[in-house]
Amino acid sequence: MLRSSVGELFYKKTAKLGLRFFATGLILGNSHFHSLSPSDFFLCNRAYSVLVRDFVLCGGSQHGLQESKALDRSFYSSSTCSGELPKCWNCGGTAPTSIPFLACESCGSVQPRNLSIDFFQIFGLERSHDIKDDNLEGKYKDWQKKLHPDLVHSKSEKEKMFAAEQSALVIDAYQTLRKPLLRAIYLLKLGGKHVDEEKTITDPEMLAEMLEMREAVDEAHDSLTLKKIKAEVEEKFETYSRSFSQAFTSGDFDDAIASIERMRYYDRAIEEIRKKL
Amino acid sequence: MLGAAGRRILGFGLGKRAPASATAWRGYHERVVDHYDNPRNVGSFDKNDPSVGTGLVGAPACGDVMKLQIKVDDTTGKIVDACFKTFGCGSAIASSSVATEWVKGKQMEEVLSIKNTDIAKHLSLPPVKLHCSMLAEDAIKAAVKDYEAKKVKSTGKTEAVQTDKVANA
Repeated sequence: MLRSSVGELFYKKTAKLGLRFFATGLILGNSHFHSLSPSDFFLCNRAYSVLVRDFVLCGGSQHGLQESKALDRSFYSSSTCSGELPKCWNCGGTAPTSIPFLACESCGSVQPRNLSIDFFQIFGLERSHDIKDDNLEGKYKDWQKKLHPDLVHSKSEKEKMFAAEQSALVIDAYQTLRKPLLRAIYLLKLGGKHVDEEKTITDPEMLAEMLEMREAVDEAHDSLTLKKIKAEVEEKFETYSRSFSQAFTSGDFDDAIASIERMRYYDRAIEEIRKKL
Repeated sequence: MLGAAGRRILGFGLGKRAPASATAWRGYHERVVDHYDNPRNVGSFDKNDPSVGTGLVGAPACGDVMKLQIKVDDTTGKIVDACFKTFGCGSAIASSSVATEWVKGKQMEEVLSIKNTDIAKHLSLPPVKLHCSMLAEDAIKAAVKDYEAKKVKSTGKTEAVQTDKVANA
């Protein structure tokens, strides 16, 4: 029965959110509702989109972002609880297994956002720091040709919302993956390590180097000197970018974080140089 | 038409901008803007000078570097001068600038009790910029620590210096 399976799906989602009492009410039937009756629930626009999303996304949330580096391709389109591939909400077409299910191949309808798809999957890449560009811009434009909100201005409110979400997601993914520093931070984030903690460092050698570097940029006024400094800093950035790759691959997260910290300092300097040029 | 041109010519001499509207538009408190536009105590002391303590700290999350230096009167333990050099956002620059102002004329032990919350309150820093004031607090402590460490190292030489002073007096 559609209703009971939807109820089951909703239970999984709300259980995750800690709303068990609400979910139990839904499963057991009308008489046990505390705050919303089923008709209220279905009439509410927002709730309806949540419902649609859950219908498509059940099973995806179980796997989340902690999965191993070996990509399981079937998670491009997260399966339903029963293990089936999701279907397009518009035409009922089945999701493909080889590419992320952001828009339906058959009817072109934009699908609701799937939170378990990570940025690397969107661009068909392995979860690695060394991605060698691999035509990121081309793929980005291809996605936007299918998902951009401008393409759905005559479609339903629901689909417009999906398009806004998916388009924003692809933009985020593209901006994150194309910059080595952001890519590195994202990779660690996928592995559960956060690097943006606001701590103070006192390493005298490193800080002295960074201070000197920023002072040099500050005092340089002609483009020749600036370009020279830029080249030097970019080289250092590359060194630590490679060092990050190595550390990440070998699972040395402390070293990886240290590399990112240095990369960020060099990145700031490069940014300042760009502003001056 | 003439009026507008006339206003433009006159307007030139009236200063860079109207303070109130600029700060409201930019979202920085006027004190932060003040420290940014009129930096006090930017500079560098000779870090090898025995009466100078250098605090060098960084915030890796935003790529900020902050150097705060104090010049201490060896006999009284009073901070007679301070300077800073900060590469970071306006809030970080302002925080270190305020720090140098506040440590001047105080005893070293006294400045250790300067809290980042005091700096943040003085500058009306938003929550997202609180760590900038923390960095300034850490810089003060690092400068004092550096001075003390240097003093310990040079304790052996102190006696010789005293003798010299007495001879020359």
